[in-house]
This record gives sequence, structure tokens and C-alpha cells, in this order.
Amino acid sequence: MEGPRILCKTWSVCPVCMKRLPAERIQIGTEVFLRKTCNEHGIFNSIIWRGLYDINEWVKGSDRLSADNPQCPNGCGLCSDHVQKTCCVLLNITHHCNLQCRFCFEDNCNQGDDPTFEEIKESLVNLIERGKTLVQLSGGEPTVREDLPGIINGAKEAGARYVQLNSNGIRLGEDKEYVRKLADAGLSFVFMQFDGTNDEIYETLRGKPLLEIKKAAIENCSAYNVGVTLVPMIVRDINTHNIGDILRFAISEAPKVRGVHFQPVTFIGRVPENPTDYERITLDELVFEICNQTDDMIKPGDLLPSSCDHPLCGFHGDFMVDQDKLIPLLKRDNPEQQCCCDSSAAEKNREFVARRWQRSPADPNDADLCCGDLYDMEVFLKRIKKYGFTVTAMAFQDAGTMDFSRLRNCSFHVYEKGRFIPFCSYYLTGWTQ
Amino acid sequence: MPEKKLICYKCRKELELKKANFSYLGHTFYTDAPTCPECGIVYISEDLVKGRMSDVEMQLEDK
Repeated sequence: MEGPRILCKTWSVCPVCMKRLPAERIQIGTEVFLRKTCNEHGIFNSIIWRGLYDINEWVKGSDRLSADNPQCPNGCGLCSDHVQKTCCVLLNITHHCNLQCRFCFEDNCNQGDDPTFEEIKESLVNLIERGKTLVQLSGGEPTVREDLPGIINGAKEAGARYVQLNSNGIRLGEDKEYVRKLADAGLSFVFMQFDGTNDEIYETLRGKPLLEIKKAAIENCSAYNVGVTLVPMIVRDINTHNIGDILRFAISEAPKVRGVHFQPVTFIGRVPENPTDYERITLDELVFEICNQTDDMIKPGDLLPSSCDHPLCGFHGDFMVDQDKLIPLLKRDNPEQQCCCDSSAAEKNREFVARRWQRSPADPNDADLCCGDLYDMEVFLKRIKKYGFTVTAMAFQDAGTMDFSRLRNCSFHVYEKGRFIPFCSYYLTGWTQ
Repeated sequence: MPEKKLICYKCRKELELKKANFSYLGHTFYTDAPTCPECGIVYISEDLVKGRMSDVEMQLEDK
């Protein structure tokens, strides 16, 4: 086996004391690790790539880490060293939740007072750029708030282009009238936690069986033409085997379901214990499992590395549902494919995801869309607007994998007290010793 | 078909509505467009360009 090879020099933190440290992405054999050394707490290696595909091909010169910035990441709030603009803004509207999950970004659920309606409206006015912003209402579980329809309305009045709700789906499944109010207020689409197609998975990860309520949530959202994207958190030995079934379920629920957004487990906030490399699900492993478990209905080349964020932070695939199959619309090796790693990438990404995740207005004349010749331009256009489907992923960073080159390319920001903070630095937490 | 007759500038033949193929980013589609029966040249109207063709481009473009 070859000795360790340095692929990239970057910066990170000590997972224990959170001190800033120089770090390296090193390749050992086919695997790639983020390595850093803390004088006090020792050497830390965290696997970031298992070598199932070529990492250099995937990353392709996306590392644009400028000189070290001593404010990074603790003083994070989009400084002049930050490379990417904001694509989506997350606003936490509650600390409260109706679940107690095994893993959660938010470690302090159900503690402290929530912001008032007036405070939230003020935040919305401050964070929204009229006609452009995609705001994600998050928490905690946002649907525990009775005034959520008013908050959505406030976001629209402030000029939000899209309002996304991040939810576990429980209230959406139980309370159809509540869903109607959210839709009437202008909700654009829902990101719904959906970890698997059997209740054993929910019992392990979320503490109770939830599959039926998730299905009810999809139906209730569909009744008011609100698109739902399923968001599975992938955890080793709990639902890694279920990836193909999640995709098949989602496809069978199109156009009610608009896509699947995978999130490999991240070790921030509430976690059972410090992670081992075995437990980490790397991005290339996720691509491999998606392709393998769908019998190559989805191929590796159909999934493109993120250009809106750092390529190691995610990927996206754009498809059209045709019966029980997906037709890919993007190809990684297409020479005509435009490169959009410029400053407009965040804006392009926002429009890309929104046009797929939002359902097109209900049209009574399009009931026969299952048939027709897809080479016919008119048939294709009708079909893609109704049956467009995305397969996307976001790999969040934790204290082990935190890589400032990735962080400075982040376009997904949390808004708090006048600051836009990259998601992974906002939620960064240290490990127990 | 537009109300006015369209004549091929080269062949002086009246254009007829026929299937025309369009390719974009590796995908091919057809739609009816006025075509010269002699030389096969296709007339692409502003409506088609700003309408369906632009719509297809937007749907297929990567972010």
C-alpha cells in the first residue's frame, strides 16, 4: 500500500477543545481522511471518502482557501473570506419539539423561551431580500407553533420568494386543517424527515413508529398542492440498507413527493457517542449505495457534485419520473454542461431546487400525463413540470470533519441576530473526552 | 401555421408544417415547425424561441 499522500491543506478544529488547527486531507490507500493534530489532545483522523470513486475528479479544483482567518469559525458571519453567497436561509422559530430523537442538530430541545411572533417577523424583514430569498422555517419542530400560518404569511409579505417548512411531519399528518392554513398562507414546499419505509427504523431513530403518519402528511400536503421532499438521515446499520426502498417509495408517490434529500448522519448537537470511522457515511459511499440499491436505475454519472457549496458537501441529480423509473436529465460527463462555480451559483441553485420542489398549479387537463411521447416537446414540458424529481444530498460537517475550505464555500446559512452563519459552524459542537 | 404564407428564400416553395428535431444538452425533442419541402430549412418563430424552446432550456439546465 502507498504511504499517506497529502491532497489538500486546510484548517479545522480540535474536536475536544475546539482550538483552530491546520489540517490536511490525506489519502491512505483509496481512503481519504481529514487529519489534524492538537498539542493537548492528540492526532485526529476522520474518514471523508472511501475511494469508491476518484475524489480528485469529484472535487476538481474547488478548494479556494485563502489566507488563514483567525475569526474562522467562531466569529462566523460571512466575512470577506467567505466565497459563496446565500442560497437558502434557515430561521429557527422554536426550540420545542414533539419528538426526542437519537440524533439531532439541536441539543437543547424544549429548553428556554421561543422567539415571539413579533421577533420572528422582525427577523424575516431583516433577512429577506425581496423577490429572492428562500427561507427555511425550522426548529425544533416548527409545527408546534399555532402561529406558523401567520409566520409564513409574514415571510411572504416581507418578499420571500420561497418559504420552506422543515418538519418531522407529525402535525402535518394529524391535522389537515392546519396544513390548509399553511398552504393558504403561502407555504411553498415541505422538507419532511423520512428515514425509512419501515417502523423499525423510526423506533430506533425517533423513538416511535411514524411511517403511517408520514404517509398521511404526504396526502394532506397533496390535498393543498404543497410539494413534499423526503429527507432521510442515513445512519450505519439502521437504514443504510433501506436507501433503495426509500427512493422507490418516493418515486411511487410522485408528484406528491418531489424528491429525496439524503443527509448522512452528522455528529453535532445530540449524539449517542463520539463517532468512529465505521459509523461515518461518506458522500461517495452514499452515491454507491443509491446506485447499487436501485439496480443502477440511478447511475453515478447522474449525480453531480455540488457547485453551489463545496463538492464534498453534497450532490444533486435531476430526473423525471416515468412510471416507476427515473429518467436522468443531467450527466456529469456532458461536455455541454455549463459550469456555474461562479458567484451566481447560489442563485442558480435556489431556482433549480425550487422549480422541482414546488408543485406546479393543479391542472385538470393533465391527468393523462402518464402517457405520450416524451420526445414531443409539449409532452416533455408538461411531464417535467409535474413529474420532475430530484435526488440530492447534503453532508454536514462536525468537529471531526470540519474543513474550512468547505465551510467558506457554504451557501446554506442560519440567520440569527442580524448575522448569516454557515450551517455547520452555527451548529458545531465539541466531543466529550 | 401563421396566417401569412412563408416562402423559402432559396427554393421559393411554400413552407409546410413538419416535425423538426431540436437537441439541447444531450436531449432531443421534436415539435411541428414550418419547413421547406424542397431543401428542408426550418423556420423558427419568435414565439417558439421565447416560448417552448426557452422553457425546455430552463428545465434542462443545471444549477
